[in-house]
Amino acid sequence: MRTDEELMLLFREGSREAFEELFARHHRAVVRFAWRMTGDPATAEEAAQEIFLRIARAAPSYRPTAKFTTWMYTIARRSTLNYLRDTEEEGEKVPILQEGEAEDGVYPVHLPGPEDRNPERMVWEAQLADRFRAALGELPEAYRAAFVLNRGDGLSYDEVAQVLGITVQAVKTRIFRAREMLLSRLSKDVSG
Amino acid sequence: MGCRDIRETISAFVDGEASPEEAGAVREHLASCERCRVLERQMRAVGAGVRQIRGTVPDRLRETVFARLEAEGALPPPMPAHARSWRWAAAPLAAAALGLFLLTSGDAIRKASVPGPPTAVFLTTEDRETIALLDVLEDTATFDADGESEGMDLLAPGDSAEPPAPTRGARSGA
Ligand SMILES: [Zn+2]
Repeated sequence: MRTDEELMLLFREGSREAFEELFARHHRAVVRFAWRMTGDPATAEEAAQEIFLRIARAAPSYRPTAKFTTWMYTIARRSTLNYLRDTEEEGEKVPILQEGEAEDGVYPVHLPGPEDRNPERMVWEAQLADRFRAALGELPEAYRAAFVLNRGDGLSYDEVAQVLGITVQAVKTRIFRAREMLLSRLSKDVSG
Repeated sequence: MGCRDIRETISAFVDGEASPEEAGAVREHLASCERCRVLERQMRAVGAGVRQIRGTVPDRLRETVFARLEAEGALPPPMPAHARSWRWAAAPLAAAALGLFLLTSGDAIRKASVPGPPTAVFLTTEDRETIALLDVLEDTATFDADGESEGMDLLAPGDSAEPPAPTRGARSGA
């Protein structure tokens, strides 16, 4: 089986089949990423289209110096960012963590975890899933992108750093902050 | 290390991104700190929460994307099957006889007797250049498609290193 990088080079040289294969391999991931970043099906669809158009248009300048997926997510993130800028009038939404709130490190919310063996808790109940989506949508885009790329798409911190053009330490910090904000928001829902 | 100082490392630990030394410190802390054990489980849980947002692939995504690409000339039309297999079969041959190939018409290459498409050929850089040469000689439309591409700044390093400053609440980045 040819690698993504080889397919991209073949597409660059005019192979339609190479692009068809790349689309088949990655369109689900692209849709999921767009969905998680925009939180809206219609916007996610528009963004997913745009991402593949950009991949195709950028093919002539593609160089296999990085993993294809790193390159693809770089395009994907920039595309969703454009849609978010278009739809949100005034920049980022306000983060919800208040200073000192997590001082004792205890958030009064029960979340199902991978280690939770109770079948009823293995899946996120619908109401909690809705609240989680809302909380994710309220994160600053830069935090959400780091968190989604790592936890959702399985990119390593190093790969996330490449996609976002930041240091690995900054990735670590953003993901930690994203977790704090999410837990804080979900706890607030419980207590208020 | 106190709870407050180790939390960011616990987050990295949960993601499998802590160094062996950091992981050791985290395990040691968790063994003696119930609150951070709870926090660790919650950190894992919010990570799992991202994956339960899956979305669905729109029905006509493929059709729409391919139609738009064809309309702007960024995607070649489907090729007949025999042209496809020829392209693959000809690559190693052309690589072996590149100099001769340059002086040879495309017809002669097409008529050459070659085995079926290779299944596990490692493509070297030279192979790729040869394939590129084949395409260019075979189909001048390749030039046109390249020429129309937009100079996008896809990998420009201009992406800001820090997120826009939150207006209140969150501490600034490390
Ligand atoms: Zn602790």
